[in-house]
Amino acid sequence: MADVRSEFSHIVPKIHVSDVNFFYGKTQALKNINMQVFSNQVTAIIGASGCGKSTLLRTFNRIYSIYPGQRATGKIFLDGENILDARYNIGKLRARVGMVFQKPTPFHMSIYDNIAFAIRHYERLSKSELSHRVKVALRESALWDEVKDSLKRSALGLSGGQQQRLCIARAIAIKPEVLLLDEPTSALDPIATAKIEALFEELRKEFTVVIVTHNMQQAARVSGRTAFMNLGELIELDDTKKIFTKPSVPLTEQYITGHFG
Amino acid sequence: MNWLLFRRRVLNGSVLFLSVLATIFGLIWLVWILWTTFEQGLKALNLDLFRSMTPPPGESGGLLNAFYGSFLMIGIAVLVGTPIGVLAGTFLAEFARKKHIGSLIRFVNDILLSAPSIVIGLFVYQVMVRPMGHFSGWAGSIALALILLPVVVRTTDESLKLIPAHLREAALSLGIPYWKVVTRVIYRGAFSGILTGILLAISRIAGETAPLLFTALNNQYWSTSPNTPMANLPVVIFQFAMSPYENWQRLPWAGAFVVTIFVLLLSIGTRILLTRRKF
Repeated sequence: MADVRSEFSHIVPKIHVSDVNFFYGKTQALKNINMQVFSNQVTAIIGASGCGKSTLLRTFNRIYSIYPGQRATGKIFLDGENILDARYNIGKLRARVGMVFQKPTPFHMSIYDNIAFAIRHYERLSKSELSHRVKVALRESALWDEVKDSLKRSALGLSGGQQQRLCIARAIAIKPEVLLLDEPTSALDPIATAKIEALFEELRKEFTVVIVTHNMQQAARVSGRTAFMNLGELIELDDTKKIFTKPSVPLTEQYITGHFG
Repeated sequence: MNWLLFRRRVLNGSVLFLSVLATIFGLIWLVWILWTTFEQGLKALNLDLFRSMTPPPGESGGLLNAFYGSFLMIGIAVLVGTPIGVLAGTFLAEFARKKHIGSLIRFVNDILLSAPSIVIGLFVYQVMVRPMGHFSGWAGSIALALILLPVVVRTTDESLKLIPAHLREAALSLGIPYWKVVTRVIYRGAFSGILTGILLAISRIAGETAPLLFTALNNQYWSTSPNTPMANLPVVIFQFAMSPYENWQRLPWAGAFVVTIFVLLLSIGTRILLTRRKF
């Protein structure tokens, strides 16, 4: 359903997950996951609480690795390179795979610096170039009009929805290829949620987007493909339309129709 | 009225009454101490205090050398203790979290935190004053730094632990290395907590007497070099207040007044600074 830039992007996956298992200490949270994520498309991961959808997302940029005791086995290929390989540079990985979290996470800086800080880590830019990049990022996250006169103010003074869009702007400002969103609207009110959902159409043109959500309507609205997970297993991954109209697995249908979860 | 509801009201009322009573009881002493210090201190306050040295018996004088000595030694102690304390606290909170070495260091730090200050003084006397052969401002500074250090370690550790994990994750997810995340993002979030800890530690060492008795001793004359025994407020207050001479007995009140004002201004000043801070 999604129109894509390259006709090959449906054939060659951006992310290829192969036999991934995940452990919190001795507890297994992901069981033998195999899936593919394609470029320039929004892939949603849905499932009941504790099904492992966030855990799976957190393997894509190895953010779990900051906690001792959490480990993943198997392989995850990003453009053909295995990112779970310890030799794959973590800084490079996270520059290519950005992430937005459930709770807004503005840094204790000005709105401007929140974004400029991330850009400055990667590029030496002149002041005007930097301002331009900040502006572009804020435009793309539809926050520019609301903050253009208060860039020097603290980011902590923004509303929750604005903070979350700031976090999206910060993540895309460093030009990643993949954007991971972990329940980005679950802490927001419906209006702020609508504003963020409106971004997806633009975001997917530039990035490969993976969103974890417990809100099925949201998955149906924003994604091209949807993965359904249950108890650490990937039950089904297909076009969103198909998942929500005639899923192949009975369990998916039960979840979609609200029989559990 | 319902019996259960009545019981709850009575219980609530009596506990509230006791709480207020306890608060008043605690506050009375504080107000009394401040009142006495201000009353006696203001009486003894004059310009000579900041112009002349501590006097010999029977003569009048000031506290200039003691102010200077205290200021210098507290300054050195802060310069030595704060960086080490903040770094150690950072190690504990950020790099030794949930590790055995972390809980071991925390335990040892807590022992140091609760060590009687006279023991610290005795220790510095043994390892610094005796080998050097004389009392000195340096030894006093180190003793004060040792008292300041565990307070700063503890408060830094606690303030950093209060920073939510998702803030760390967000910064790391931008591909920024951990050391930069800590120094540029986490420290900003924990800034007020760390600063409050340092101030708490300064207030604490500003009044320490016991460790200085063994280390800086005292000096009746003007001396700017920390290589010599140094005059300092707490020891001067102690010696003069216990003396039989009446003009000596007035000076400690003035000194106590100035120390109290100093500590008070320090915390009020930072509080204003923190609330005005934009981020």
